[in-house]
Amino acid sequence: MSARTQSPAGNNSTPSESWPLVLRDSVKEVFSMMVGSEVMVPDQGDPAVVTEVTGMVGLAGELCGVLSLRCSKGCASKIASRMLGVSIAEAASHMSDAIGEICNMVAGNFKAKLDGMQDKCMLSVPTIIMGGDYQLFSVAVGDRIELPFLFDGEAVWIGLEVRS
Amino acid sequence: MSIRALIVDDSSVMRKIVERCLRQAGMDLGQVHEASNGAEALALINENPFDLILSDINMPVMDGLEFIRHLKEMENGKNIPIVMITTEGGEKSVLEALALGAKGYIRKPFTPDQVKDHVIPVLGSQS
Repeated sequence: MSARTQSPAGNNSTPSESWPLVLRDSVKEVFSMMVGSEVMVPDQGDPAVVTEVTGMVGLAGELCGVLSLRCSKGCASKIASRMLGVSIAEAASHMSDAIGEICNMVAGNFKAKLDGMQDKCMLSVPTIIMGGDYQLFSVAVGDRIELPFLFDGEAVWIGLEVRS
Repeated sequence: MSIRALIVDDSSVMRKIVERCLRQAGMDLGQVHEASNGAEALALINENPFDLILSDINMPVMDGLEFIRHLKEMENGKNIPIVMITTEGGEKSVLEALALGAKGYIRKPFTPDQVKDHVIPVLGSQS
């Protein structure tokens, strides 16, 4: 069974048509500035991801929901390696921390780009799930954005489920 | 003289990134101390002299705002310049940190140049 995020509403519409673009820019900025590598938006189709690491940050307040990142262990280690400037082997023990921080910064950057949301929405401490045999149900019945990216050719999926 | 810096963040990855940014900015750092929350930082300040503190706001055990409150009550801590590094960047918490005595803040994500631009003036203002 592959890991998926599921909204009870099954609603794919977004609160604002601009939100996917805002989220995409937020992700690209965080990777560019803090990982030192660009993430690419796939040209064609949705890249398959072997979900072995999932990072999540909750949003509470005027904007409620969950921001998530899914990728393989190898990809998570590579992200940690780039962030720390150490070898992939050395970075492996830091992958949870690194993915949690990425989620935290993407969520923070996203809400900072929404007018007036900065002080009306708080972020939780990140949570990391290792493994992919799970299903995640959000009680935030609302809207869902899922965006695929490529980091060094490997798939990274960013999800945002919100009830605004 | 080398700058004695203390980096306070619950993320070990973020602490390393901040240190790397300071070094990439060309700062002459001596030994850099790390703490994962405000309480750990206060214990380190009791035992070591520091020229600069960079601190997260959202941390378990003791957050960055509470940390500044205690720091400003310490004879050997009240004059150490502190710059906040935060994901939240919300007006309320940032303004509160500045009102409590923080010299500036950097919002994550950041570049080494942004760290340098915020830290150098703070160090300069101490001399």
